[in-house]
Amino acid sequence: MELFLAEKGIYFLTLLLLGVGLAGIIVCSNYMKKLICMNIMQVAVIFFFLCLGQKAGGTIPVAMDSMINAADYINPLPHGLMLTAIVVSLGTTGVGLALLYRIKDRYGSIEEKDIIEREREKK
Amino acid sequence: MRKVFSVIVICVALIVPFAMFEVMPQIGDPNSAPNSHVSVHYIENTQSIANSPNMVTSVIVDFRAFDTLLETTVMFLAGVCVMIILAGVYKTKKRVIDPGESKMLRVRSGEKVFRSINKDVIITLLQPMILVYAVYVLFHGEVSLGGGFQAGALIGTVLLLDAMAVPDKRNFPNITKGTSAMIAGIGTFIYATAGILTLIGGGLFLEYEKFPWNVPLLEQHSIGILMVEIGVTLGVAGTIVTIMNVLLEKVKFDK
Amino acid sequence: MKNLPILIVLLPLVAAQLCLVFSRIHRNVGRWLVITAVSASLVMSVMQLLNVIKDGPIHYYFGNYRAPIGIEFSIDTVNGIMLILVCVIGLLTFLFSSEFRVSSDKTIVGGMNTVLCLLITGLLGMTSTGDVFNLYVFLEITSLSAYCLIAMGGNKGVIAAYRYMLVGTVAATLYLLGVAVLYANTGTLNMADMAVLLNEGDKNKAMLLAMILFIAAFGIKMALFPFHGWQPAAYTHAETSARPLISGVMGKIPAYAMFRYLFCVYGTDFKYFDFILDVLGVLSVCAMLYGSIRAMGQKDMRKLLAYSSVAQIGYISLGFAIGTPLALAGAFLHMFGHAFMKAGLFFCVGAIVYRYGKFSLEDVGRLYKKMPITCGLLVLAALSMVGIPPAVGFFSKWYLGLAAAREAKWIYLAVLVISSLLNAVYFFRLIEKFFINPDKGLPQKRERGRIEASAWILIPVIVCFVAILALGLCNAKIVDVLLLTLGEVGL
Repeated sequence: MELFLAEKGIYFLTLLLLGVGLAGIIVCSNYMKKLICMNIMQVAVIFFFLCLGQKAGGTIPVAMDSMINAADYINPLPHGLMLTAIVVSLGTTGVGLALLYRIKDRYGSIEEKDIIEREREKK
Repeated sequence: MRKVFSVIVICVALIVPFAMFEVMPQIGDPNSAPNSHVSVHYIENTQSIANSPNMVTSVIVDFRAFDTLLETTVMFLAGVCVMIILAGVYKTKKRVIDPGESKMLRVRSGEKVFRSINKDVIITLLQPMILVYAVYVLFHGEVSLGGGFQAGALIGTVLLLDAMAVPDKRNFPNITKGTSAMIAGIGTFIYATAGILTLIGGGLFLEYEKFPWNVPLLEQHSIGILMVEIGVTLGVAGTIVTIMNVLLEKVKFDK
Repeated sequence: MKNLPILIVLLPLVAAQLCLVFSRIHRNVGRWLVITAVSASLVMSVMQLLNVIKDGPIHYYFGNYRAPIGIEFSIDTVNGIMLILVCVIGLLTFLFSSEFRVSSDKTIVGGMNTVLCLLITGLLGMTSTGDVFNLYVFLEITSLSAYCLIAMGGNKGVIAAYRYMLVGTVAATLYLLGVAVLYANTGTLNMADMAVLLNEGDKNKAMLLAMILFIAAFGIKMALFPFHGWQPAAYTHAETSARPLISGVMGKIPAYAMFRYLFCVYGTDFKYFDFILDVLGVLSVCAMLYGSIRAMGQKDMRKLLAYSSVAQIGYISLGFAIGTPLALAGAFLHMFGHAFMKAGLFFCVGAIVYRYGKFSLEDVGRLYKKMPITCGLLVLAALSMVGIPPAVGFFSKWYLGLAAAREAKWIYLAVLVISSLLNAVYFFRLIEKFFINPDKGLPQKRERGRIEASAWILIPVIVCFVAILALGLCNAKIVDVLLLTLGEVGL
């Protein structure tokens, strides 16, 4: 059991986080909470990807003269990729917040049932 | 219906990891596929090809530089999107709350109530320091941790601090949202210019060794990385300032 | 010449970056810059396609780092044609959008052009890239600009855009998860390299898991049946000037990406390949029936066309589900044809809105007398959707049906026929509303000039008209070109 947790337990935790985010998007009726859950989900996948960069006995990926073997450094590729993914999720969150601002401005609420009610009234 | 669906989703999310355990490599296994295929090339050639000891920097701005060009473009795009999405909203008047009676309870009445030594003096002192640090992070990104995104965020923070700490007294010239979005665009264009120059020099896109000037090969890579970092810095700083300006237009502070 | 693949993507990208600067001078300067860039891309993509036909697939390595290390663009005949498609419809949309002024503010107009141009860049990049993570970044550029353009369509557009954003981000996240699973098992991000490495050793379970995630992710992005919830509202309420591009092309490129994964990365050696194809087949059959049935009940032209898109995406994935080269060629021919049909129909809707500002089917009685050219295209596109011979819709359905019959998949053939009949029901209803219903005497928003609408609106309409006929008449030639690539990857 301990071995299992040490070797693969982290995947379970990150995917649990993904499930929480996904369920939150479905269950929450407040649009702001949905946005937060969306962020939780993105962070979960970023963690998941970063797990792949781990290497036992490796140090941070800045080259030093005393160490020249590839085994001495952790894998830099997932870190580089996730830097991109973080910026992308930042951009998405920004646009989402701007849209929320418009929704609040127009409908006076960001609760889903209020918005659906207003849309019905319009018709 | 919704509850049932969410329970199903959670169950699936719990079952999938168990299915995954078999197919995923062990944590920290030096011989697993991600640690042994391309990453070895990145680690071993970071100094001999990209001339940068920081492997993450060499991956994102040299080996996979095109991804980062698009990443900066996403940043710029997010700024432009926020700008034009919020352009149609009129200034909300309701936000202004008249202090009314509570004004009488204040010890010092008058608009300078929130003035203090912290805001007036310390912010003014802090701003140049943060700027210097931003420049340090920008130029040092190649050899250690840091780089364009962090530097851009720091510069953006300085302007943010300037606008928000003492709104009626600005230390920096006021940039309108159009100008700052333009700066973000120019920043991403500087990045693209690094690629266009290599095309002019007869190479492939972002092949830093083919810059049309005559310096040693490793220096070419350094010049390329620096150019890219400057572009990223401008792009990120411009985007942050754009979003701030757009939001400041909409907000009216309480009297 | 060797830099053609990057220049096609780079020119719109640079134009988008500089658009705001040039818009400072005058609000039209930025627009013309972008139009020039997109037309240059169009010319170059035609040249590139000719090169590919002559010399075989092109591989372009960024920074001269060989395949698994750097990023790669790989162009074959299929995405060569798709690049031309994106450029043409993008260019037409730009010409079309010049008549719809969103705002008088220079910055806002410049920003709109920037976002529209980045949408084109993202679509072009997604088509030509050969790297799984690069695809993710292009996917995000596409989605972000699409959220923005949908949100510009007024108050309901904002809600539609917000819902699309939530769903679309889930899709992007699932895609990234799938990439993580594949990366964990192969250690590479390059598609061609991944295809080789996946066939070594027993990785079937991981591949199945990743493929389910990819189908969910691309299914959401292309609005395949159970994942289509965001699509009708988004297409309906999007900004009028950007709607042809969003509805015509945006759903097709994720479908192409799914094809890439299914047939180029996974290939027929994959153990669960038939299972995946069957799942896809069931989904597309449901989509074809559901979309057509829902479209019959709509009163709003835009909603009708949006639901019809759900059905038409079903045809494309049906071609993937059959999986023979002929079926794939049919699917791609339908992709090109449908892009022009749907974009053309939305150009017509735009032209009607430009003159009258109305969307409802009840208001358009005897409109053919006032807008003959627009109604001409409308009829041709509708007939093509139903599948009447000289138009392209007939030939793509013919290839699909032929392939289904050869594989003895009679259910697919039956559904193809039923769905076409349902198409006929609602498109003839559409035509009836335009030609037979009494004239309501609509008040005009804009006066009729010498021609029925502005020239910038009529040019896209006429080009779409010609393209539908030309694609139909040259279908054998196009299928030959497509089969150059598809013959190697099909079942």
